[in-house]
Amino acid sequence: MNDRLERTQLYDWHQEYGDVVPFAGWEMPVRYSDIREEHMAVRESVGIFDTSHMFRFFVKGSNASNFLQSVATNNVSNLEINDGQYTTCLNEAGGIHDDLMLYRISEDEYIWITNADNGPKIRDHLLKHSKDFDVEVLDKTKEIAMIAVQGPKALSLIGKMSGKDMDEFGRFTCNPLNIAGYDTFMCRTGYTGEAGAEILVLNCPFSEEGKKRAVGFWNELLSQGAEFDIKPCGLGARDSTRLEAGFVLYGHELDEETSPIEARIPYAVKFKVEPHYIGYDVVQSQKKEGVKKTRIGFVMIDRGIPREKYPILFNGSIIGNTTSGGLSPIINKGIGMGYVTPDTVNDGDIIEIDIKGRRRRAEVTKWPFYDPDKYGETRTS
Amino acid sequence: MSDTEIRDGLSYSAEHEWVKVEGDIVIIGITDHAQNALHEITFVEISEVGTVLKANDECGLVESMKASSDIFTPIAGEIIEVNTVLEDAPETINEDCYGAGWMFKIKPSNLEADLAALMDGKGYKAFIESE
Repeated sequence: MNDRLERTQLYDWHQEYGDVVPFAGWEMPVRYSDIREEHMAVRESVGIFDTSHMFRFFVKGSNASNFLQSVATNNVSNLEINDGQYTTCLNEAGGIHDDLMLYRISEDEYIWITNADNGPKIRDHLLKHSKDFDVEVLDKTKEIAMIAVQGPKALSLIGKMSGKDMDEFGRFTCNPLNIAGYDTFMCRTGYTGEAGAEILVLNCPFSEEGKKRAVGFWNELLSQGAEFDIKPCGLGARDSTRLEAGFVLYGHELDEETSPIEARIPYAVKFKVEPHYIGYDVVQSQKKEGVKKTRIGFVMIDRGIPREKYPILFNGSIIGNTTSGGLSPIINKGIGMGYVTPDTVNDGDIIEIDIKGRRRRAEVTKWPFYDPDKYGETRTS
Repeated sequence: MSDTEIRDGLSYSAEHEWVKVEGDIVIIGITDHAQNALHEITFVEISEVGTVLKANDECGLVESMKASSDIFTPIAGEIIEVNTVLEDAPETINEDCYGAGWMFKIKPSNLEADLAALMDGKGYKAFIESE
């Protein structure tokens, strides 16, 4: 392992304006102003995140679809050109190697976007298993910058900058788009629960010119987004927004010992697929015969902020452990997720979280933790 | 961290708490360096009044948007008052950590020895610069 921390193309900007910390092998900004302010910008207007630390693999070849189906759990053959899907990559035991976004950008080419800390592991995995297929796997992480634009005003901003009617681009699509003079792939996806896009900014290598280009696009977003009260957002708000939306995070809700059935992400796992992916038999039998643990969400009733690895109790007995927790700026209560023994609790049941020896009541609650009529992509107002 | 505020006349612990002796009681809070590192404090909980503690016992926790941190008492004794303002306004610590944002008061049981283990302002400044 190389101990030196990696930096994205935007590192100099983060260093100047943000509070930079080590994260998953990278030096990344945790915040620029206040995490809560950044969080509220995403919920009420628009925020931008540098997500260039995620890995971007391009998989190309006449056999690419079959290869990808052999290592990913969603139905790859369902992907039309310029469409994307959330999926997982499993180990032989059905545990999650990583969760990822897969986009099809042409007849025979796909983009695989994977978590920062899993990048090297997944690169090895793809290279190893692609040998039997006529495909090429290229790591373009360091040639392309990636910026997430998220919030109820995100699409207005991208529409303004690209001159396009954003209604053309449905959720989960991924299209080549020129935005304010920059060639990009504009993916209508995100990790906050809000409308928006994850934008791959092409031609941004780790050269002085490439960095300048990435910073140029970032600054263009900020200046054109000023009328929408745009804010740059760090990892703090990235975590608080995904938690509030009830999204899983690798290393917390997901790991090599946890399957997508246990994680309750059924939309990422399909069974009518050929070839069968690695881990297929295990997750298929889990779906039929049940699992040993299942993910739940909860909202604190008593005062207290849950964090990961706190015991979850029901009727005085430990039924599981938390995997994530924090304060929800929208409902202003502690919220969290964790795993419990299946069929021990239902939505609405009162559980207890053991917060460092102090037992505090919480209610088992469906995610997202905000009112989906008022916040998130499904908002009606 | 050259702009961190360190007040003269207080004692400081390696856990970034300050201690102020006022007559026969002591007042304890967290330092400017600590509140700045935590940022956006969202929740504070201190053990109940009447709790008897040894020096360096855990006696509460501070939550920020970023993380959870335990509070330890640098001074042995009995908790005689907890700052109830922090229950609804934990951000008071960010705004005024040496004043309105104090955390708890202790009736000390071993004051001289406990104080001897702490740093003065100059020592604490050198300590955070070396961290």
